[in-house]
Amino acid sequence: MATEKWVFMVTAKTPTNIAVIKYWGKRDEVRILPVNDSISVTLDPDHLCTVTTVAVSPAFDRDRMWLNGKEISLSGSRYQNCLREIRSRAGDVEDKEKGIKIGKKDWEKLHLHIASHNNFPTAAGLASSAAGFACLVFSLAKLMNVDEDPSHLSAIARQGSGSACRSLFGGFVKWTMGSKEDGSDSVAVQLADEKHWDDLVIIIAVVSSRQKETSSTSGMRESVETSLLLQHRAKEVVPKRILQMEEAIKNRDFASFTQLTCTDSNQFHAVCVDTSPPIFYMNDTSHRIISLVEKWNRSEGTPQVAYTFDAGPNAVLIARNRKVAVQLLQGLLYYFPPKSDTDMKSYVAGDNSILKEAGLDGASGVENLQPPPEIKDNIGSQDQKGEVSYFICTRPGKGPIVLHDQTQALLNPETGLPK
Amino acid sequence: MAEEKWVMMVTAQTPTNIAVIKYWGKRDEVRILPINDSISVTLDPDHLCTLTTVSVSPSFDRDRMWLNGKEISLSGSRYQNCLREIRSRADDLEDKEKGIKIEKKDWQKLHLHIASHNNFPTAAGLASSAAGFACLVFALAKLMNVNEDPSQLSAIARQGSGSACRSLFGGFVKWNMGNKEDGSDSVAVQLVDDKHWDDLVIIIAVVSSREKETSSTSGMRESVETSLLLQHRAKEVVPVRILQMEEAIKNRDFTSFTKLTCSDSNQFHAVCMDTSPPIFYMNDTSHRIISLVEKWNRSAGTPEIAYTFDAGPNAVLIARNRKVAVELMQGLLYCFPPKPDTDMKSYVLGDTSIVKEAGLEGELPQGIKDKIGNQDQKGEVSYFICSRPGRGPVVLQDQTQALLHPQTGLPK
Repeated sequence: MATEKWVFMVTAKTPTNIAVIKYWGKRDEVRILPVNDSISVTLDPDHLCTVTTVAVSPAFDRDRMWLNGKEISLSGSRYQNCLREIRSRAGDVEDKEKGIKIGKKDWEKLHLHIASHNNFPTAAGLASSAAGFACLVFSLAKLMNVDEDPSHLSAIARQGSGSACRSLFGGFVKWTMGSKEDGSDSVAVQLADEKHWDDLVIIIAVVSSRQKETSSTSGMRESVETSLLLQHRAKEVVPKRILQMEEAIKNRDFASFTQLTCTDSNQFHAVCVDTSPPIFYMNDTSHRIISLVEKWNRSEGTPQVAYTFDAGPNAVLIARNRKVAVQLLQGLLYYFPPKSDTDMKSYVAGDNSILKEAGLDGASGVENLQPPPEIKDNIGSQDQKGEVSYFICTRPGKGPIVLHDQTQALLNPETGLPK
Repeated sequence: MAEEKWVMMVTAQTPTNIAVIKYWGKRDEVRILPINDSISVTLDPDHLCTLTTVSVSPSFDRDRMWLNGKEISLSGSRYQNCLREIRSRADDLEDKEKGIKIEKKDWQKLHLHIASHNNFPTAAGLASSAAGFACLVFALAKLMNVNEDPSQLSAIARQGSGSACRSLFGGFVKWNMGNKEDGSDSVAVQLVDDKHWDDLVIIIAVVSSREKETSSTSGMRESVETSLLLQHRAKEVVPVRILQMEEAIKNRDFTSFTKLTCSDSNQFHAVCMDTSPPIFYMNDTSHRIISLVEKWNRSAGTPEIAYTFDAGPNAVLIARNRKVAVELMQGLLYCFPPKPDTDMKSYVLGDTSIVKEAGLEGELPQGIKDKIGNQDQKGEVSYFICSRPGRGPVVLQDQTQALLHPQTGLPK
């Protein structure tokens, strides 16, 4: 009898997220359980996202995955844990149109093809693992008819990459550390959706870096093992900040939000420096951006821009509203102009309508910029060409969705191989 | 009757010091009392020092001071506190040769002229206040015949600048935080003298910096007020490290010394970052130097170089012995070569004999290349200073070194 050759597929799109109260340190390396809670903002997947197509077919002889066009191994424990966990929750699936019927117990014997693609460079340090594992788990859950809410799914995504659990929701999200040993209560919950505080505009400065960074996984393990400040942070400082941040988000209190976001970013980096050997994720450019924002906020009297940095030199700047974001972009482009023959559209990615509002979409835009009046005592000379590779303008965004448009699938619907 | 015109003078030389367990944060801003103990190594005053001449004469009409040739004000509380404290301990003084007799009570009415000179640039961030105030207090104590030991004098110097108290001794020095409110027990004591561990070689990289740094005084106050990690450091971490460091120094245990020195430097900078607004004293060049040393120690198998950074980007590197120091110098010059027309004599200061031992011509030995990886950053380092642990303050008997004219009491 001929082997059945049907291919059943689901394609999903998932956002990435940026922590405003940071996750840094595990209490359990296998289940990926953190030493403290964390809170993040989900970024608009229209600008930064992972698209994943998952397919199942009796014709597939083994699990396979392609990431950004390149086949990768699924043998690592993170992938294995996610696949095992999601398979164990699989339900019955029936597609009457195609005459496909999969029983719960069949999933254990069926193999998967997975193709995933980030619309932003992996090397840019923009949390591609988070979006990637969230998308994998979300799309497999859809494929396998898993009857679980996003929080339950987040516990599975967490086992692929800790911060992935927060990408199962839009808006503002909290990853509750949990207290159970099996990690079943270490899940993400939504604090507020993406409409709650949609004045906010997020500008990311992708900073050029010569250094190959220490990976988050090994960095946070070294911090847990060697930093004498980390436990104090996790036990005494973060719990209070989590409560204050939840209040700030609920009340759209930008001043408190800024104070908490900036100090938590700085403390996370402080703990990295307190590690043996010390980890320096931020560089001189990162420091100059911080200096610019600190001066700005001081001169305005009330905070206008919050900053936060992950495990790399990129700056994530959160502006209070569109007007501030436009001024911020003008200030950033003044201090970090593009190299001579750079096209502005490739220098400001994402929502580049902001360029027009900033008066910068013409050819001579950047040369005509004046130094921002607020920052006359400058942060160093203007003109550090090349320090910033490019900017991305975005905003808080929605959670994962299924893409019904078959043209966006990354696998061929007949062969189940990458298009 | 003609006004008496005698001038009595003392000239002293004082070293600077570098903390290996850091002082950062006060519990009393007026008396300058710290929130934790600190330990330092005194640098050889032959390479880095402050010279101070203090003089007294009935013909001086007010206290005056010149710093590096420029007259400065003595009205600030730090100078006032030091002058008041030292004057209150002044004693009878007689110079039979010159026919000068000063009684204890006379000092209150007599005025002083003070001239001080650092042999290293103030802008280089090399702790000139420490050496300066220590020298001021030491010189005045000699002038006024103050009968106090260096620890007691350190309590006075402390009120000029906290870390100055540690420059009253050579070798390795500890500043006890004390617990009395009046600060009388917040003094420096010598752990060991400069001969105890004289294998060590110290190389300072003076790193170019565009930024004007946050001063230590305001920086540490902001840290005390805003860092949520500082108190934990002061109460839980430093006390343990102080004991371990004392042991390491006593036993010349370079491995422990390195681990403590590097991690304490890093934690101090971590607390600065944890401040609002954050303070970044180290820059990319500082980080590259740390990276070089960390790689070096890993590839050598056992630590050969310790690093520490104060409130600025300069690196203070402490090599286990001369051999390591020479290799380190070669590695540093390879990674941070001078700009094309730089004269080596102005690129490596202090104990310049190390330049010859490092043999600048020829290829860098492979063993050292392995230890440093590949880097090449011209101009990032302004210059290097090669030094070693050194002795404490001394009186200079040679009158030609005095900074004031013996007749007029004015700067030469």
